[in-house]
Amino acid sequence: MGPLEARVPIVGAGAVSAHGVAWRGLSHTLGSGVCAPEPATELTTSHPGTRAFQLTTLAEPSSMAERRARPLMSRSAVLASMATSAALQDAGWRAPLADVGFYLGVGASGGSVDQLGTMLAASLDAGEFSLERFGDRGLAACNPLFAFQLMNNFTLCNSAIVHGTEGPNAAFFSRGTGTLFALSEAVDALAENDCVRALAGGADSSVYAVTWAELMREGWAERGLVPGEGAALLALAHPTSSARALAFLDYVSVHSARRAAPTVALQSALDALSPPSIDAVVLSAWGPPARDPLAAVVARALRGRPLLDVANGLGESLAASPALAWTVGLDLLCSQDLGRVLIVSAGLDGDLGLVALSAGASP
Amino acid sequence: MSRRRVYVAGLGAVTPLGDTWADSIEPLAQGRTAVAPITAFDVRHFPCGVAAGIQGHFELTSDRRLALAERAAREAWMMAGVEAAPERVGVFIGAESGRASLATLLELARAAGAAHQFDHASFGRKARPLAARVDASSVSPAAVASALAREFRAHGPVETISIACASGAAALVEGTRSVRLGECDVALCGGVGADVDPLMLVGFGRLGALSARGVSCPFDLRRDGFVVGEGAAMVVLSSNPRHAALEVTGIGRSLDAYHLTKPDPDGDGAARAMQQALQDAGRATVDYIQAHGTSTPLNDEVEAKAIRRVFGSSWADIPVSSVKGALGHWVAGAGAIGFLCAAHAVQHGSLFPTANLAEPDPECGLRHVLGRAASLDVHSALVNAFAFGGANACLVLERVN
Repeated sequence: MGPLEARVPIVGAGAVSAHGVAWRGLSHTLGSGVCAPEPATELTTSHPGTRAFQLTTLAEPSSMAERRARPLMSRSAVLASMATSAALQDAGWRAPLADVGFYLGVGASGGSVDQLGTMLAASLDAGEFSLERFGDRGLAACNPLFAFQLMNNFTLCNSAIVHGTEGPNAAFFSRGTGTLFALSEAVDALAENDCVRALAGGADSSVYAVTWAELMREGWAERGLVPGEGAALLALAHPTSSARALAFLDYVSVHSARRAAPTVALQSALDALSPPSIDAVVLSAWGPPARDPLAAVVARALRGRPLLDVANGLGESLAASPALAWTVGLDLLCSQDLGRVLIVSAGLDGDLGLVALSAGASP
Repeated sequence: MSRRRVYVAGLGAVTPLGDTWADSIEPLAQGRTAVAPITAFDVRHFPCGVAAGIQGHFELTSDRRLALAERAAREAWMMAGVEAAPERVGVFIGAESGRASLATLLELARAAGAAHQFDHASFGRKARPLAARVDASSVSPAAVASALAREFRAHGPVETISIACASGAAALVEGTRSVRLGECDVALCGGVGADVDPLMLVGFGRLGALSARGVSCPFDLRRDGFVVGEGAAMVVLSSNPRHAALEVTGIGRSLDAYHLTKPDPDGDGAARAMQQALQDAGRATVDYIQAHGTSTPLNDEVEAKAIRRVFGSSWADIPVSSVKGALGHWVAGAGAIGFLCAAHAVQHGSLFPTANLAEPDPECGLRHVLGRAASLDVHSALVNAFAFGGANACLVLERVN
């Protein structure tokens, strides 16, 4: 990973965030400095007082197929489906979609807690969890497909079923880096002609009682993580495609924290990226301890270039965060007539992800 | 784009029939099955009371994915004897979430209250002690790949692929691609499943996916569902041909985009993944197929239909078997152990039989390997893995010329 042998045309995008179902205008919204987290309605009773960047309402199902599937979809799967619908529409891709690859960073959040409660309640015997009752009545008390809300791949598969994407695919577990691998794999699949077009991105939510409890326990909340949720996808065409491109993907890399500190990795990557070519930077880091040192490196290396910190307006949506940042970068590029935008992401896994988008005419 | 050849340098596994891959080979060749009654916990009211579990090594309450994966990876790594700079080593693992212990489940039940609706307020108040009982490092799907990366000093790409029953095969696809495109020189790939636990047994049982008879017999007329198995299978791939006898020449993936639990009845998605892998390998056919073959009525019939469709009239010449009759269904590890069986066939000319397959279903008309291992000069093999949700992954491996 690193500079791509052939730039990959981005012909559309879809984004779902606390600011609605749109990627165009996101950079302006986030740059205006007026974004603030709202009381987290999903956490009102479990974690009162928590503020988050969350969607107030989910879009109505876009088709009969989705209407049927919706009760079996986790919140992350619904977000993914909304972003898929938006990206397909933005790219002008219509059925049949058998040749569309689909690569998604996914998390483990989102199963219905009401279903979980029902299952557990039916498994209690005199106030104690009973394995016998669990086997006899536990899952029988909830939807038998409940387990599929919890399995990571169904965030991807539900969207594929609803929208009919049938190409090569993979769901990468992600707390940051996995979403970069989804994009990298999509690029490789296009380069190897496994598919002629692909969707790549991420979908996840940390505005979920169980996930938030875990994040609190791990100390992320105390260190400044603000929960968020969303989904975003880039619609990528084959490098030889003559489709009209919004922009081009020209660089994707992941830097393992096992190898070097993120700041060191960012500095060396910036040297290799030719800093003069970068007009703006989008930074998506889970909180101040990750953001501040990276912002300092950017400020030193790219003096005077604007830096947009998207976590301030989107929160941390785990597997979705890097992908949302890519769409913000795309919006910057398209709306401000820039030449090249670098998107830096730092998730909970500690690794660093770098993506560069550039303007330019289609081949 | 330049494309390097990808060689198989090492294989390792922990299976219910052997502590190592080497130990597992003879029982698999004999057609033995590891499926047995579950004794580790009370299954009297469970929909299925048998499994192909790994006994004796692990506590029921611990997450076993890592222990299984580490042992399999060490065997594969030792066999491979590869050397590479840390930044040129990648790890690609198929894994699903681990499970919290039963003690944590009890805490969860208490925290959520005993009412019929989830008590958010109670849960919130009690969430901290609950969460403290859940070790995120053992529950996260990424925990296995991260731990292996630490042990084997892999500073290259470290990926966790979670697409249910195709995860292990998809991880091999990712590793192959990464070596092929020069993103790393050595890839530790594979999958692990540790699903012989109450949650998974009840979950799959309620779906009606498990065998009520308690027999895993892929493609058999009497098949009535799968049997949960567990284990880990690991492969070391390398760009270095030194001592390599096998190479991965084809990869393919597709989505059914059809149904959450049922395969496309025409086998369209499965067929596309197989065709893509064959095309990638530049082949029209292979000498052997290690099928996904779960022992569920619909899956086996659809897979057989897809194989016949892909290979046309030559299907009758291609031996087919499924290791799930012997080892049960490892879910995230399934495709990886299938790969090892296919590798054994190509390298040693020994085709494992489909254990428990005694009365082949005419609807699953294929050239099945029955009884004991068959001997055949095999130059190439196809590995199939098809998942709940409709994700499919296939690989072609060949003998090195």
